[in-house]
Amino acid sequence: MPSLLENLAQYVIEGNAPKAKETTDALLEQHVPVADIVNKGLIAGMEVVGRKFKSNEFYIPEVLIAARAMKQSMEKVKPLIADAGIESKGCVAVGTVQGDLHDIGKNLVTMMLEGAGFEVIDMGTDVGPAAFVAVVKEKGVQALGLSALLTTTMPAMKETINALQEAGVRDRVKVMVGGAPLTQAYADEIGADGYAPDAASAVDKAKELLGLAA
Amino acid sequence: MTPRQRVLAALGHREPDRVPFDLGSTKVTGIHRIAYARLRLALGLPERPPEIFDPTQQTAVVHPDLLEALRVDTRGLASGNPAAWELRFAEDDRYSYYTDPWGLPRRMPKEEGRYYDLCGHPLSGATSPEDVRRYPWPDPADPARFAGLRERAQAARDTGCAVILGGICAGLTEMSLWLRGFENFFTDLASDRPLAEAMLDLILETKVRYWERALAEVGDLVDIIQEADDLAMQQSLLMSPKVYRELIKPRQAVLFAHIKKQAPVFTFFHSCGSVVGIIPDLIEVGVDILNPVQVSAAGMDTHALKRDFGRDIVFWGGGVDTQRVLPRGTPREVRDEVRRRLDDLAPGGGFVFNSVHNIQADVPPENILAMWQTVQAYRG
Repeated sequence: MPSLLENLAQYVIEGNAPKAKETTDALLEQHVPVADIVNKGLIAGMEVVGRKFKSNEFYIPEVLIAARAMKQSMEKVKPLIADAGIESKGCVAVGTVQGDLHDIGKNLVTMMLEGAGFEVIDMGTDVGPAAFVAVVKEKGVQALGLSALLTTTMPAMKETINALQEAGVRDRVKVMVGGAPLTQAYADEIGADGYAPDAASAVDKAKELLGLAA
Repeated sequence: MTPRQRVLAALGHREPDRVPFDLGSTKVTGIHRIAYARLRLALGLPERPPEIFDPTQQTAVVHPDLLEALRVDTRGLASGNPAAWELRFAEDDRYSYYTDPWGLPRRMPKEEGRYYDLCGHPLSGATSPEDVRRYPWPDPADPARFAGLRERAQAARDTGCAVILGGICAGLTEMSLWLRGFENFFTDLASDRPLAEAMLDLILETKVRYWERALAEVGDLVDIIQEADDLAMQQSLLMSPKVYRELIKPRQAVLFAHIKKQAPVFTFFHSCGSVVGIIPDLIEVGVDILNPVQVSAAGMDTHALKRDFGRDIVFWGGGVDTQRVLPRGTPREVRDEVRRRLDDLAPGGGFVFNSVHNIQADVPPENILAMWQTVQAYRG
């Protein structure tokens, strides 16, 4: 018989928010450690979702309802996380670059990173280089995720990396890039640290760049 | 061959005297105003104040002198706006704004802006099919849309080119995503079917009523009608083939069957991204022509597409990769890429040349001319 934690992971995978929340409550009542609820329930579920997304078994709708189930359950355990001594995997700021107003891809990356246990600062769309510099300086993020849908806004990624260099903070942060027209070759050309072809791979890339076990 | 005969031969899967060429006939085969101004200059054509064909994508009206200079074989035709709507812009310190006839608000950065993008979703708060049905919806058969259409259709036919008539709005899925908000509608698809179906039905009915009226007006003067629905992204479909087949495909079948009942037109369907997995479905529902054939997306290799589907569907686009080669390649790379795509797609007809989607602002005119010269010189 599957354990309650396995059930929780399964409800996240199925995107069944009511059942996921109910199971989270039951686990809390049974005094199951919060770290286990998060890691073996919620994050374990989202890992499967990411794998299914990469292998075209899941598509955007399934990912979104899974993320919703994860998020709503996470709300229940959030107040307990600090006391439980769970360390965040790291803090990543994600934004669509200047001149570009597209955010679906960026939002998927945000959800996947959160689902993997990262703290994510969502900077929104049309984010100028100065704002990316500021978030590195002021929030101490370890990685930046730059998104662009358009060939005409891809150059803003290069400008953002240049701005980080000029501000003397380039070495403090890993820069990942993604978006439909992006390629590894372009990422290399502009001096980004990493590229990911989809939102689930972005999580793998973030883990790799921050030296976390994949 | 006249340009129209050339296009009709290609659409009939017969090889024409040369590959037919489209630029600017639809909202998805055109050219951005900035690239257009540069191209006119490069061709030595007189400067003209920019005329915008599609405000959202900021594509240019391609003027007759350029259509003739580049021997464009097609002519686009678009219906007008509803009587109660007019294009009005507002701005603040960062953005310029307008709201389209469907109540969708859009904005473009004032600095370096290239396109208007959605900045609101008027049906994001809907929780039931009734909320969707209560939305104030413009009349698709509003006579103001069709004022002067017949005269313009006749003028287009008189050029001797093939005439393609645009649709009333974006696709079933796209319009639903835009009105509900992307995350809302994707979530509806997975967990609130009645709401999703109410959205899709609203758009379907709009399209059906529009085509009825439009083709009653000009069905005898139009060769091709243009529909669209972006169903895929770079790596895969947006939704699973199963969800597509349950919710979208049956409505596409109704739409295309209804269109073909009105007039003997070819149906042109645009969907970006990796749509290879549903091409057989599109053929089955009555799509004659696939556009834009996004060659850089997963599984969209032109050689394989032509081999697997070339007998049953016409490719209109796919002539050159536009995510890298056209904007960033050298003219020589453009020539090599165009020749490769022509070798893949042109034999036996079934191909109309266009790049992949609109030529964007960052494409240098020498690359557009390298593309065009290669098409014109191509003899198989």
